[in-house]
Amino acid sequence: MWRRPLIAGMLGTVLRTALWGSLAFVAGLGVIALVGQSRQEAGAEAAMSAVLGVTVGWAYIGSGLVSWHRTSRRIGAVLVFIGFAWFATYLAYSNNSGWFTLGTALEDGYLIGVIYLILVFPRGALTGWLDRALVLAALVLGTVVEVGWLVFADSDSSVCGGCPRNALQIVRNDALAEGILQFQRTAALVISVFTAVLFVRRIRRATLPVRRAVAPVLWTGGAFCAALALTIVNDVAGEPLGPAPNFMRGLVFAAVPIAILASLVQRQLARGAVAQLVVELDGPSADLRESLSRALGDPDLHVGYWLPDSSTYVDAAGQPFAPGIDRATTVVQRDGQPVALLVHDAALQDEPELVNSVCAAAAMALENERLRADLEARLAELRASRERLVRATEAERHRIERDLHDGAQQRLVSIALSIALAEATLDNSSTTAASALAAARDDLTVAMDELRTLSQGIRPAVLMERGLGAALDDLVRRSVVPATADVRLTDDVPAEIEAAAYFVVGEALTNAAKHARAGQATVTAETRDGRLLLRIADDGVGGASARDGGGLRGLADRVEGFGGTLTIHSPAGAGTTLIVELPCA
Amino acid sequence: MRVVIADDAVILREGVARLLTEADFEIAGLAADADELLELVATAQPDVAIIDIRMPPTFTDEGLRAARTIRERWPRVGILILSQHVQASYAVELLAAGTEGIGYLLKDRVGKLDELAASIRTVATGGSVLDPSVVTQLVADRRRADDPVDRLTARELDVLSLMAQGLTNKAIADRLFISEHTVEKHVGSILSTLQISATADDHRRVLAVITYLDGGRT
Repeated sequence: MWRRPLIAGMLGTVLRTALWGSLAFVAGLGVIALVGQSRQEAGAEAAMSAVLGVTVGWAYIGSGLVSWHRTSRRIGAVLVFIGFAWFATYLAYSNNSGWFTLGTALEDGYLIGVIYLILVFPRGALTGWLDRALVLAALVLGTVVEVGWLVFADSDSSVCGGCPRNALQIVRNDALAEGILQFQRTAALVISVFTAVLFVRRIRRATLPVRRAVAPVLWTGGAFCAALALTIVNDVAGEPLGPAPNFMRGLVFAAVPIAILASLVQRQLARGAVAQLVVELDGPSADLRESLSRALGDPDLHVGYWLPDSSTYVDAAGQPFAPGIDRATTVVQRDGQPVALLVHDAALQDEPELVNSVCAAAAMALENERLRADLEARLAELRASRERLVRATEAERHRIERDLHDGAQQRLVSIALSIALAEATLDNSSTTAASALAAARDDLTVAMDELRTLSQGIRPAVLMERGLGAALDDLVRRSVVPATADVRLTDDVPAEIEAAAYFVVGEALTNAAKHARAGQATVTAETRDGRLLLRIADDGVGGASARDGGGLRGLADRVEGFGGTLTIHSPAGAGTTLIVELPCA
Repeated sequence: MRVVIADDAVILREGVARLLTEADFEIAGLAADADELLELVATAQPDVAIIDIRMPPTFTDEGLRAARTIRERWPRVGILILSQHVQASYAVELLAAGTEGIGYLLKDRVGKLDELAASIRTVATGGSVLDPSVVTQLVADRRRADDPVDRLTARELDVLSLMAQGLTNKAIADRLFISEHTVEKHVGSILSTLQISATADDHRRVLAVITYLDGGRT
């Protein structure tokens, strides 16, 4: 159903372009023919006039047709009108009185179009009474007053020397014709000045994106108004500046369609990038930063995502985000809430329209990415807090073992010494005291044993005194399943990591005996690139996993608590291998 | 008999010193760390050095390392390690460095002066003394199937333990209230069950038994 209007629209565009294009072509040929046969100009000057006339006319009509179906129908129509009105002025080159008179009468038509264009650009409509008054005044001045002047003007004395007869002349009145001409010029001057003032005011009030988008058109249009005013002043003053203002006005007039085309092309390019971005964002695995970077043409683009909880920006991985200096930033908002911060090249500040379009197109994707970054940040915080907890626990265990060793245990030894000393110095006759001391010593021995067992469970003495290598050797030596150890520790391993590794190897060897019914086990431990790597392998029944919340789950929790990893290879019937990586930093 | 004592806890080294004075030992000096100990041994040339394991600066195994140095430089000085914990591997290591005049006891043992004094004298005369818990630990760690140790009788295990602690046949007989001849019979049975080659030397016997219990690694 949707195809028909689309095809009809395309057909309309093609037909319209073909129709107006052909007309413009014919009109251009007409201009060349008119200038060629004219008696007013000849040679190089005529050729220049013809080339300038045809080029300017075609430029207006061409940009008008492009603009018609790309941006604004009305502006396109106005541009096409200006082009043909411009061609119409060349009728004045005709040697035929009728055509000459018509061309002269229409000589201000294109100016009306330009005034109108400047006043409606880029919205495509007049706003306010002043706009309308100016256009109406220009219209009256260019038609009624022009015809009125021709009624009294004699061709030779008032229009141009050597031109055909003024067909509209009814009464020759040179003074009246001159008066009307002066009035027309003064009024045109006022209109150009007002239009220029309106233009300046409009530019100052426009939002930055609009200003950037229409700047080339407004500047050339404004310059044309100024040139027009200057031309009139020059004419009135008897051409003290010679033909220069006229020539300048022609150049500026020719620049207007070029500016319009430039503005269109620039918008088109930016829209193309944004369109590409939209397509990419819809793709399966879009790298958002990459896509934005391409769309904005800034390879060094950085994207920060807003975390409302902490009121900070983080990167996609949830890590704190620190934009570099000398960079400009743009906040992307959605529903009034900040979503992301684009840190981009300061030069992009000159293309806010592009940045705004990109932000609008990517806002949804950025919001998704923000949620993910938020999650990553929370996860990272959770991991960090778990690691802090685990480390704090291990540090506490270490401290408790030392406290016991240097405190309670030492104090008990000291009491044992006192008892022994008391026994040694005791009077032989005091058997009651002797038996009391012996009883105290026996109790003391039990207390020391219990305390020793407790302390050993908190942190094995061999680990405290000899480090991980000796402690692993000890584990292997005491393993129920015959085991061998290959320990190569070249880097320092922090005490809490040593304790975790000891615990993991101890559990793994216990599992090898208890669950895996293994006949042999091997343990390797080495430090590499700031990490402690452990490998515990047995030849048991296999089939172990960390899923069932058993001992292996506990090991994995402990290892992951330190930011390490535990991998289990345990195919049924083919033994179990644990591979553990722990950070040593 | 002259002894030196090394322990970073002043209350313990002073306490042990005072206790040993009661048992007629001559205290040749006290040391608070391994460096002081080595200087002290060099100058005083004691019969026995009583050494704590954890000492400054790192509070790890300074005492054990000092013991090895003393054994290398002054082989005639007896060494008695006194520690809060007993680690069987340390005992094996100490004995491997030379079986003569080596002792390794829990600090708890200071509670019985007569046994402590006897141990120091054994070490001073070139004997070996190991804490009963070392043997307990070594036996407890042997949980292998088909272990010859499991075939020993309860009485033979008692004798094995006392052999490992460094006691002579006569001392074992006194401790167990049996005749020395009975002890010899038990020892012969144990050695043949465990297939340890018989040796008349009591000190060597300690190493053989400990090494066997440690897993047969020689």
